[in-house]
Amino acid sequence: MELLTTNAGSYPRIGDLPEQQRLRRAYAQWEKGEISDEKFGEVQNEVTGEVIQEQARAGLDIVTDGQVRWYDQVSHFAKGLEGCEINGLLRFFDTNTYFRQPVIVRRLRWAAPIVRDEFVFAKGVSPVPVKPVLTGPYTLAKLSINRYYEDFPSVVADLAQVIANEVEELVKVGAEIIQIDEPAILKNPRDFELLRTAVERLAGRKHGARLALYLYFGDAAPLYDELQELQVDALGLDFTYGKRLVGAIEASGSEKELGLGLIDARNTRIEGEGETISLLRRILAHVEADRAYLNPSCGLEYLPRDVAFAKLKNMVSIAQRAREVI
Amino acid sequence: MREKLRRLGLELPLLPTTAVGSYPKPPELLEARQKLLAGKLTLGELRPLEQRATRDWIALQEEVGLDVLVDGEMYRGDMATHFAENLDGFAISGLVRSYGNRYYRKPIIVGKVRWRGPITVEWWKFAQGLTKKPVKGMITGPYTMMDWSFNEYYPSRREACLDLARALHEEVEALALAGAKIIQIDEPALSTRPEELPEFAVEALDIVTKGIDAYFITHVCYGAFEFIYPQMLELPVDNFDLEMSNSELDLVELFRRHPFTKDISFGVVDVHSHVIEGIGLVKRRIGRALEVLSPEQLWIDPDCGLKTRTREEAIGKLRAMVEAVKEVRARWR
Repeated sequence: MELLTTNAGSYPRIGDLPEQQRLRRAYAQWEKGEISDEKFGEVQNEVTGEVIQEQARAGLDIVTDGQVRWYDQVSHFAKGLEGCEINGLLRFFDTNTYFRQPVIVRRLRWAAPIVRDEFVFAKGVSPVPVKPVLTGPYTLAKLSINRYYEDFPSVVADLAQVIANEVEELVKVGAEIIQIDEPAILKNPRDFELLRTAVERLAGRKHGARLALYLYFGDAAPLYDELQELQVDALGLDFTYGKRLVGAIEASGSEKELGLGLIDARNTRIEGEGETISLLRRILAHVEADRAYLNPSCGLEYLPRDVAFAKLKNMVSIAQRAREVI
Repeated sequence: MREKLRRLGLELPLLPTTAVGSYPKPPELLEARQKLLAGKLTLGELRPLEQRATRDWIALQEEVGLDVLVDGEMYRGDMATHFAENLDGFAISGLVRSYGNRYYRKPIIVGKVRWRGPITVEWWKFAQGLTKKPVKGMITGPYTMMDWSFNEYYPSRREACLDLARALHEEVEALALAGAKIIQIDEPALSTRPEELPEFAVEALDIVTKGIDAYFITHVCYGAFEFIYPQMLELPVDNFDLEMSNSELDLVELFRRHPFTKDISFGVVDVHSHVIEGIGLVKRRIGRALEVLSPEQLWIDPDCGLKTRTREEAIGKLRAMVEAVKEVRARWR
């Protein structure tokens, strides 16, 4: 059996060691105009390379670029679009982090690929496969202020167009699996039909690649059966918000590949091998292990760098153990 | 709650003016704190600078004419870390990002949380010793301490929160014993997970305040009130200090639908903006509040702590607030 390990998004961009603070220093210099965009970009490239190496060193089968260039998961896309302005800071879900809120003032227009070059760079420096991550159209719409469109579904529809373009661009440059983050749906299940339609738009442009829909910052158990019907290849689930999710998998099995977010990316406590294996045992009784991934519950940048690394190493060793015993 | 204030011996005018907690630190104190971190200065050398800055802010608040003062938190770094460092059961994490290029160290609960002795009492006594006006006692509440910490020890958020409440109860008791009659419990994280309010946040504040004869204020910010109002009124405090001018939500409309049954500290100046509000604007905001609240219920203050403003901006905002209140009071005479 093959239980692969992967990252689920961000990776801490600085650490406590002086050599791990390069990006922070460069950012401060860039903000003051002391270094050029180009120079700052070089530092971002170097740090991207470092966090990819670090994930590979932890033993991950699939890594991400760590999103070290992103201000946040929302404005990084919004700032690449025409028709969008960027407002002040707002709390990002129930985390202690903040994102800049987009304000839609005109018809949204996708002018050029937003994350394609980031992926190409990451792929070029990574010793293992890289998974690009996109914030999904529903979550982008939900976290934006709409001052142009007549109604919310129209915002989601146009953003779905935008993200579908991103999907296609990523496939063109060799992406085989693409993660789409839609955390906002968990607290807004009544909008599920909007999500379904948006996901179909994306699926229509994925060509041969696989789409993995990741949901976190909430309990997906109440939506589990409906999620199984979505036009995606994999579902990423956050197991830190309730105990019912494992039961839902036991009850319904899974048609999809599953990203198992059993490693808490929001807490420094290192998971015990026994507790995680016993959950894996229950889940893998209903899902083929070669259709399951073990990953953190969400992006890792809520943790200090050294803890994120320790978590990943522990996760890899748990996966190895699971391959032996289950 | 006017009666409670009177019983506690506090004679306050209508629309008492106050501040939320923090003021900007003077440059020499900021510099000294950097030196302390770099190991080039001792705590003993820092203390006189903190005291001088506290004295300065007490004098300024008296001069501006606030009715209830704060110590300005010259001795605090972060509002959660300060308490974590002084309670048993905590460690401090490596750097984590907050936004942009801002990073901070987050508390980690690594063992049973216990109160090991007064955290804020000496500073409260120092500040109160400088003025005849009442100075608020000030703690960070159990829910916020829990939500803003990693938890490696307790099996659930609830258990972490309730033990924090027991520890902070002792701090509140020590403040009351020292003579603090107005005690503020800062809970900016309270609306983070609305479902936890009935599950354990109310119980936690019950534990903190139980059996203590003081006028309790709780400071709540960061929006999302539509999810916790009116249930929020069940919290065992006398006064809610709410962020208003920086909120997209029209709280006044909300209070029209569900009358506000306790006292309120109504934030009328925006702590995130450099612009000093005109007296007219502040008066209009107070007028708006008075459409749905009685004058006996209403306190006036800034939205949040003023520490991110310059000294001049902070004073300007306080002055606008106090002048506006004077004009409103004068109209009533």
